[in-house]
Amino acid sequence: MSTVAEATGVSKWYGEVLGLNAFTASFGTGITGLVGPNGAGKSTLFKLLIGQLRANQGTLRLLGENPWNNVPMMRRLGYCPEHNQLYGWLSGQQFVEALLRLDGMPTAKASTAATAALKVVGLSGAAHRPTRTYSRGMRQRAKLAQALAHDPDVLILDEPLSGADPMARVQILRTISDYAKDGGHVIMSTHVLYEIERITQNIVLIHNGKAIASGDIHAIRALIDEHPHAVRLETSHPRQLAQALARMEHVVSLEVPADDVLLIRTRKPDAFYKELPGIVADTKLDVRSLESPDDSLEAVFRYLVG
Amino acid sequence: MSISLPTYTRREIPLLGRRHRLRAIIVTGLRREFKRPAAIVTTGLGVGLVLVTSIVIVLFRGLFIPGQPLDLSFFIVPASNQAILFFVTLMASVVGSGLIAEDLNSAALTLYLSRPITHADYLIAKAAILSPLIAMIAVLPLVLTPFVAALLGLFSWTVALEAMGLAVLLGFLFTAFYTSVTLLLSSLTRRKSYAAAGVFAVTFGLSIPATILSLSIGNPAFLYLSPWEDYLAVAQAAFGASARQLDWPWALAILLAATIVASFVTYLRMKAVEVVSG
Repeated sequence: MSTVAEATGVSKWYGEVLGLNAFTASFGTGITGLVGPNGAGKSTLFKLLIGQLRANQGTLRLLGENPWNNVPMMRRLGYCPEHNQLYGWLSGQQFVEALLRLDGMPTAKASTAATAALKVVGLSGAAHRPTRTYSRGMRQRAKLAQALAHDPDVLILDEPLSGADPMARVQILRTISDYAKDGGHVIMSTHVLYEIERITQNIVLIHNGKAIASGDIHAIRALIDEHPHAVRLETSHPRQLAQALARMEHVVSLEVPADDVLLIRTRKPDAFYKELPGIVADTKLDVRSLESPDDSLEAVFRYLVG
Repeated sequence: MSISLPTYTRREIPLLGRRHRLRAIIVTGLRREFKRPAAIVTTGLGVGLVLVTSIVIVLFRGLFIPGQPLDLSFFIVPASNQAILFFVTLMASVVGSGLIAEDLNSAALTLYLSRPITHADYLIAKAAILSPLIAMIAVLPLVLTPFVAALLGLFSWTVALEAMGLAVLLGFLFTAFYTSVTLLLSSLTRRKSYAAAGVFAVTFGLSIPATILSLSIGNPAFLYLSPWEDYLAVAQAAFGASARQLDWPWALAILLAATIVASFVTYLRMKAVEVVSG
């Protein structure tokens, strides 16, 4: 199998709003990144891929089958939605277990598999806490755990790094990478190119519902490097963290727009993401979440689409 | 600094069938309801009050309903206890109104449907969460009342057993009606409060105007609009009590038709729901 998913001229509109516009792309084996700014149509494409939306036009194939209302195929998929959709009263363990039992896993095995999956994503310590007490990064990891706990053939991950703290990002990327090395396929959306670059060279760029480029990551990297990359950190000590980060040569600017927010602009995002966990660990400052506003990516897309 | 992380390895796990998957939704749903004080209080008060009032009526039958014959027709009295209507409505609005609406609102439906679960499975499981809770109010007290009456020697076991059987049938009819209508209302909105208001509207918004219209115009046919009056007409016929203004076959047909149509429309509605979030 060389193609995991294939879209040919797929359009989807919500009333007068166009979600996807004659989207054509193929997603190969291993890990493929779907990169685009917010509102580009990434989530719409994923909902189409998992059969929860029906395309108005075009054809879509996942693992060689039409995914719309294809219930048996769901056993082969692991889906991690972007937004928080957990029943807050369930513990992480109960949440993953309940979803595994929906797959038809026996209760005892569901419990074992849930424990193992939560361990893989680094949530063992919080497995028995209600998920409403989880930070955003922990919720992302719990959702990733439920997506991969039943050993699907394909993982579809909608912004799995969104809001996750630096340590959680490392853990999530490591888990995805291990899953792919073990023969699984991953289609993962993000608007932060530098993060996906760590685990794959295959990307599809989406903008305004259209696939505007696909293939090797290096060409697009060169374009993006011309624009300073913004990173927004949530921390209770933004000034102390700014002091520590100011030592990085590639950091262009540091702002404290709110009492618990630090906004950084860097010309070398890959180096920044590599060094950040170490600095956070050394300074022992808490970083609750990390996000990259997609303004730099937006600029590149404006350039690409003319 | 070195970080050691656990690694991921794929496993092969045998999977169970549809019944098992349905049970997973039901268990999760019931576990949630029995953690919610509102659901616990409604269940406790509903079952308790309906049962206590029914047994008090049996014990003090001479005082409350002088002249009521002590045969099967006596059990129309507990079956027409208005507390049943009130607590069934309350239970449907407290528990049932959010069953689908909250899943739509939180987009938990996305997670359900990303598993090998059909829309029909999802709806059956949701009905299986709500119906036992409604049945605890609509069925349980009506079954326990003749049982207690027979234990106290007030009625023969033959009459009591017949009354218990009829109570099960009537209670299930009422439970099925409220379950399907509540799930329909819940599937139409993302706001639980709207669905809850809809449940009250179905009960009181239909019953009160139907009664007023039938009295003011003098045409009892308006009472067919009220699910409670339809239920009472069927119950009167079942227990062999004196006939009311409504024909029981029509009343039964209306309740059954409303139940089936509501279930079917809910199914179509859920099939048509495209899970849009974010």
